[in-house]
Amino acid sequence: MLTTPPHLYIRRPSPTTAEFTVTTCPPLTIPLRLALLALLTLRITVVLSVIIALYAQFASPPPPPPPNRTTTTTILSHLSTASLLDALLALQTSPPGQSITRLASALPASVLALACAGLLYAGLLLRLHTTESVLVLRGLGIQIQTSSHTAGAGGSARFIPTAKIQDVLINEAFKGFEVRYYLVVVVEGEEDVVVVFPRLLPGRRIVEAVWRGVRGCLYEPGEGGRKDGGVER
Amino acid sequence: MAPPPPSPPSPPSSTPTYNIAMVSDFFFPQPGGVESHIYQLSTKLMDRGHKVIIITHSYEDRTGVRYLTNGLKVYYVPFMVLYRSATFPSVFSFFPVFRNIVLREKIDIVHGHASLSSLCHEAILHARTMGLRTVFTDHSLFGFADAASIMTNKLLKFTLSDVDHVICVSHTCKENTVLRASLDPLMVSVIPNAVVAENFKPPSNPAETSRGHAFGQPAPPARQLGPHDTITIVVISRLFYNKGTDLLTAAIPRILENHPNTRFIIAGSGPKAIDLEQMIEQNVLQDRVEMLGPIRHEEVRDVMVRGHIYLHPSLTEAFGTVIVEAASCGLYVVCTQVGGIPEVLPSHMTVFAKPEEEDLVAATGKAIAALRANKVRTELFHEQVKSMYSWTNVALRTERVYNGISGAISDAEFYGYDASLNAANWSATRGRSGVQSFALIDRLKRYYGCGIWAGKLFCLCVIIDYLIFLCLEILFPRDKIDTCRDWPRKTLNEEKEPGVR
Repeated sequence: MLTTPPHLYIRRPSPTTAEFTVTTCPPLTIPLRLALLALLTLRITVVLSVIIALYAQFASPPPPPPPNRTTTTTILSHLSTASLLDALLALQTSPPGQSITRLASALPASVLALACAGLLYAGLLLRLHTTESVLVLRGLGIQIQTSSHTAGAGGSARFIPTAKIQDVLINEAFKGFEVRYYLVVVVEGEEDVVVVFPRLLPGRRIVEAVWRGVRGCLYEPGEGGRKDGGVER
Repeated sequence: MAPPPPSPPSPPSSTPTYNIAMVSDFFFPQPGGVESHIYQLSTKLMDRGHKVIIITHSYEDRTGVRYLTNGLKVYYVPFMVLYRSATFPSVFSFFPVFRNIVLREKIDIVHGHASLSSLCHEAILHARTMGLRTVFTDHSLFGFADAASIMTNKLLKFTLSDVDHVICVSHTCKENTVLRASLDPLMVSVIPNAVVAENFKPPSNPAETSRGHAFGQPAPPARQLGPHDTITIVVISRLFYNKGTDLLTAAIPRILENHPNTRFIIAGSGPKAIDLEQMIEQNVLQDRVEMLGPIRHEEVRDVMVRGHIYLHPSLTEAFGTVIVEAASCGLYVVCTQVGGIPEVLPSHMTVFAKPEEEDLVAATGKAIAALRANKVRTELFHEQVKSMYSWTNVALRTERVYNGISGAISDAEFYGYDASLNAANWSATRGRSGVQSFALIDRLKRYYGCGIWAGKLFCLCVIIDYLIFLCLEILFPRDKIDTCRDWPRKTLNEEKEPGVR
């Protein structure tokens, strides 16, 4: 529900520019937004539980709370390490926190560490949707963008100037147990071709639509997409 | 209301066209007889409006999907190569890729080639599991006695227990295959190989080429041979034991001794080359025996036209394409009477010998004498071979097999008798329409009859294969697999093919 099979968006800000985006993210409707919000809450909970579990396991024994602390609270003091630790302790002593503590103490330390690492990766870093795009600017070139697996990292982008583009074509290759179609840019002076949409590898319909679009936008319409005319210009 | 979209143009001829996958371990860039058979047959089938793809394993520098110049699509599936480009029997690991290819290309008929190719056997097994029609072409003869043959025969029996039709290249080969795999002879057809006669033309004399080559033109003038002209005997073969190189080694000194104005040209390489060289050294025949070493297939014609007699001492041969090529080049053929060779050429082109030294020397002597007496019209051989062997004809006959197994022509027409009248001939192997049933239980019945232990083992394999098939249907659903665009099909034009007999 949260992701879809790869589908194509085409944006044409000007007659000489086109952006083809292939993404697994469905259109943002209200239910989807709510679901994403719920997912965010779930992720925060998971991360918090992991922190509690780690704290309970590796920072034990928890010091008993000081009986009567004179608290002159400012906003700044809320952000101090001591008060953060206090908050953590409060969370830990709450009923759900205690059950997490019990679970953490039941597991061996190595298993706990591995589980925590996995959960942290899923909660903090994993990106739900993959988006890949190719931006075509007539007379300038093609920019190929790919989002990264993890949040935080910005993904990669590659710009290929028109003079370097020898051809844009569709090919077939074995990938795992399948034969897939893929769109490639043949770059002058490079041993390997550049694959467009390398992670999603969308199906034939999308690849063909993008191929037509890229060739139509990159080369003048009068030239009928002939590669020589397009490159020499 | 929008007008209904125009329906895709259907082929004008009434004969159905098929999507055919040729599967074999042996294909170009590797040279060989099976390879060129597959290529020629595919090309001619495409000319008849069918869609043909080829599935083979990858070679060092060739992996992935390639198109040959005429639109023939070749899948070089990456695999581990075991020995001499035969793949490791990876029985089930090939299935996912195979299923993907079959679905995306919308294949109806899987046609396997060569009994030593494990890829072909696997493909036939998987294709039957997927409910496709299968054809197998056998290109070679095998013994029954030694361990390797027994293993191969068992494997062959496994595959051929559940195949729709088998094609053999000669009647001897058919006999051999029927015995090895315990088949019903009715489901085995004989379709010989062919040669591209244009590639094997005899040496042209200038007068003829200037006149041009028209129909009804008088036969080319006879090549007159004087009593003291040198007669050249050509041998082109891989120098292996089964090709009769030992026989050749023994016969050459005696032939040269008996017939002064003769010489030999030997092309080819192999483990027995050293024996030939020793023989030449011992008898000091360097100036009368020329060893050319390995030559490419394109050069075969140029070597052949240098000679007058082609000597083929092979000990076993399913068909022997090379003697057809030799005859097409206008050579008088001396060959051993083994395997399918006696079926290949008419008797006026050949002198047969038993596979013994004595007889081979005598037969060669007879051939030399006949040539010296100018009794053999070798210059006519080319046109005769051309009219006997053509790939178009092979494709036509193969197409008939496809029609037969897919039910496009009736049983009575295909098998030559009416199955419904012959209820006694009904067996588990043959279903209602004379084609094999796809039901798993019927398939298991057929495999179970293969042997006490082998039958059970084969059944196990088939069941596992079926389970894998079900898993694949769930893991890689059919509707998620992209279908390919077809290469523009040719439409069959009967008027354009006057050579079809």
